[in-house]
Amino acid sequence: MDINILEKNEESIRLIVEGINTLMANTIRRLILTEVPVMALDDIVMIENSSVLHDEILALRLGLIPLKTDLDAYNLPEKCSCKSELGCHLCRTVLTLDVEANKPLTVYSGNLVSEDPHIVPVSEKIPLVKLAPGQKIRLEAYAKLGKGTVHAKWQPVSSCTYRYVPVVKIDKTKCNECKECIRICPKRVFEETKGKVRVANEIECILCGDCVEACNKNQSAIKLDKKQNSFIFYIESTGALPVERIFYESLKIYEEKILDFISQLEMAINVSEKTS
Amino acid sequence: MIIPVRCFTCGKVIGDKWEEFAKRVKAGENSKKVLDDLGVTRYCCRRMLLSHVEIIDEIIKFYERPKINKEEEAT
Repeated sequence: MDINILEKNEESIRLIVEGINTLMANTIRRLILTEVPVMALDDIVMIENSSVLHDEILALRLGLIPLKTDLDAYNLPEKCSCKSELGCHLCRTVLTLDVEANKPLTVYSGNLVSEDPHIVPVSEKIPLVKLAPGQKIRLEAYAKLGKGTVHAKWQPVSSCTYRYVPVVKIDKTKCNECKECIRICPKRVFEETKGKVRVANEIECILCGDCVEACNKNQSAIKLDKKQNSFIFYIESTGALPVERIFYESLKIYEEKILDFISQLEMAINVSEKTS
Repeated sequence: MIIPVRCFTCGKVIGDKWEEFAKRVKAGENSKKVLDDLGVTRYCCRRMLLSHVEIIDEIIKFYERPKINKEEEAT
């Protein structure tokens, strides 16, 4: 297996992974979407809400705020030893919101006061509600770890995709330098240098095939193909976890699942041998 | 009513980008340029900001008025 990072910044990463098959690539993608846990506000206790938004709408908006997650300090509520409905300090933290408007006022995610200074909204500028003078909001919100299978607010990513690595070839003997491919390509894969058409940006090709059609119909000079067992991954974090941590966690979960499968299999074989 | 916290389709947070977007577009800037500056690349997220109308501002006015009226009565 060979991994090359194409680009990386704080919230997204694009990399080429060589030497894995579709099954593996799709498993990683699905694990990231559904199994990697992050924090989100789950139970909301409304003490007072005289705003124009109803309690449930406000609660839904609160739930969608991504929170910076400290995975090592918290347990999943179903795996926590406390077994209580509202949780303990190991599986939940409380954020409070207490605002009253004297003049027209916008309440932001930054107004939430967290019990744990590590669990705070990713962005402080998300508008939650607008208040008219005299309106009041007081609430307690319980942040818990959860998985994307239960609700999309617990997904660590806003985009997680993979695609084939494209291979674009121009047959020089068939090319009549009409430059039609340069004009039609939506991703500007081709380039003209010294009057000749050349593949300049192969990796950006989305294999749409417009260039093949625009080229001489009967014997196209351009050939599109995909590299076997190579994928371009693109992951965009919501900010709850760093992108590399998301990858790492998904692989850890994969390992756990495989080990669990093996131990269950061994147990089943032992039982069947004893009975026979 | 109020800008959604996340994009309906992909789940990217767009709520925190609304105020800057609205301010700059109102100042006469090209909305394509503002969206590109804000890092909103996919068309699902772009339509969230482009097509949004902040109706809550209109509704709030109905709640401001009674308060002012009451104050006038008192004085």
